[in-house]
Amino acid sequence: MPSRPDTPPPAALFGRPRQDRFLRFLTHFADRYLALTTRTDPTGRHPATSRPPLRLTVTDRRAVAEDVVALRLAAADGTPLPPWRPGAHLDLRLPSGRTRQYSLCGDPAERHAYRIAVRRLPGGGGGSVEVHDTLTPGARVTVAGPRNAFPFAAQDRVLLLAGGIGVTPILPMAHEAARRGLDWRLVHCGRTRASLPLADELAALDARHPGRVHVRADDEHGPPDAARLLADAPPGAAVYCCGPGPLLDAVRAAFEASPAGALHAERFTAPPVVDGRPFSLRLRRSGTVLSVPADRTALDVLRAEDPATASSCRQGFCGVCRVRVLAGPVEHRDRRLTPAERAAGDMLVCVSRAPEGACLELDL
Amino acid sequence: MRQPADEPDGLVLQPRDVAFDWAGLPMHWIPGEPMATHVVNVLHLLLPEGERWFVRTFQEALPLITDDELREQVLGFIGQEALHADAHEGVLDHLHARGLDPGPYLRHVEFVFRRVLGERPGLPPHRARAYLTERVALIAGIEHVTAFLGDWVLNARGLDRAGADPTMLDLLRWHGAEEVEHRSVAYDLLRHLDPGYVRRTRAMFIAGPVLVRLWISGTRFLMAADPELPARSRPTWRGYTAAARRGLLPDPRRAARSAGRYFRPGYHPTHEGSTRQAVAYLGTSPAARAAAH
Repeated sequence: MPSRPDTPPPAALFGRPRQDRFLRFLTHFADRYLALTTRTDPTGRHPATSRPPLRLTVTDRRAVAEDVVALRLAAADGTPLPPWRPGAHLDLRLPSGRTRQYSLCGDPAERHAYRIAVRRLPGGGGGSVEVHDTLTPGARVTVAGPRNAFPFAAQDRVLLLAGGIGVTPILPMAHEAARRGLDWRLVHCGRTRASLPLADELAALDARHPGRVHVRADDEHGPPDAARLLADAPPGAAVYCCGPGPLLDAVRAAFEASPAGALHAERFTAPPVVDGRPFSLRLRRSGTVLSVPADRTALDVLRAEDPATASSCRQGFCGVCRVRVLAGPVEHRDRRLTPAERAAGDMLVCVSRAPEGACLELDL
Repeated sequence: MRQPADEPDGLVLQPRDVAFDWAGLPMHWIPGEPMATHVVNVLHLLLPEGERWFVRTFQEALPLITDDELREQVLGFIGQEALHADAHEGVLDHLHARGLDPGPYLRHVEFVFRRVLGERPGLPPHRARAYLTERVALIAGIEHVTAFLGDWVLNARGLDRAGADPTMLDLLRWHGAEEVEHRSVAYDLLRHLDPGYVRRTRAMFIAGPVLVRLWISGTRFLMAADPELPARSRPTWRGYTAAARRGLLPDPRRAARSAGRYFRPGYHPTHEGSTRQAVAYLGTSPAARAAAH
């Protein structure tokens, strides 16, 4: 909604009815200032740079529970790796082209290697199976990061709740809590003791800090009760929870009634596509036709075509990925657009789709 | 002095789908402090339009970014700013419903962000790109100010002591925490496009005083338009400093010192404010927690 360049300034807020003098001054100033300062283009003078992704080698692999392997990743020439803090993850680019995120579960003070732990999920998207089958010692892997979607704020009182493989970001938090001398507790839940990864390290932590580490297996104690877990939190404690969806949901539901004061959980960007059908997109300017498979979003496909495609929340509420649809039936799945915006042809490509086989013509 | 090395870094930025209910918000949500209330209320007038201008500008800059990590940061920033704009607009609607029509001042703000700093069609490509960099430099300067304000509001115990409305405090602190969380993005984008010292500091020389001037006229406007105040109510400098002493508004000397630090050659936004504190607040914020469901 740009104003036309000859739009006059609005009326002054106070005094005689006339154009606002400050805004008139600002307009003249900006027009002259920009005429001067845009004569040269700094972007052209300093071509922008980018950091290359990290190429790492698997230097060690060890089983840490049923179906769970821990991998040590290091640079082939042994150079120090970028630093990280508890809660950080790596984006692993697997040989098949899949990208998967895994939390770092080693020691942040160890600057020459990263450690991740991966549970084999045969029914998953294939990423964990690929890690188990192909990432043997000596294998090369490209990673991006570390990035942190689960930062640890090291509050004075902390309750760390881990479910199964969710212990991976929690373990470095426990080490940091111990190092800082915080009042902390860690509870690790899982189906059976044998299924709980990194149990030996938790046992060592427990030996050094008696009474702070609690392990509860469903086959011994019954399924976890979130309200009971939170009831043991010190008053006002910050809860850090990582685990399967049902555990997180139960903790969120029980949080308000608990003595805890803050809740932190890992923030995932894109939820998986539910009940999607394949359809296609046609870009007006280039005429290119792109097909959107049932398990990918229109946004993923557009980003693969042009990495500068705008988007942010990937859950249909921020509105940044809004695109104008020129033709075709849209299946709106967002939480933001008004009926008038939808009628005008707006679509949020991060979540919204089209019926099977339909083609949406986009104003791109 | 805070130690940046001890802070979480490399944060993945994600917008939070917050919602606020303003039905019970009194006009003077810092009880008995109409001037301090309206100084803060100027935010609700400036931000929706200003942050949407950030979003448009950064969307325009996306094709110039050659670093994947920076692009992800910019996308996270855009989403957070879009939600900030929405949240403050909700307060505007409430003010209007209580009999304070913000329209005349909003037209000034719109003029600044759409005409003075808006699209300038017809520029040759190198000028269009330099104009874009110039706007990114202004945003980097403004983001230094918003990070200062975010850090201030996270620590403004005076607002709690004065019994400020809890929902408004949560809006300000959620927003402030996200400003602290993403305080490096605009600066890093500017360095990506133009690493020079001149453009960055020149932009702050302009953005700083213009922002102060807009803030003063916004406060004057709100106090004059407030139906619950006597006619011809005006903000005063003495009133400001008295409120600042009680911790209801930022201390002007601290604000001036913070602005001065932006001119240091070795400046980086990570040296201002605390990511740890911002993350800790977002864990307690009722709105941010509800948005995580």
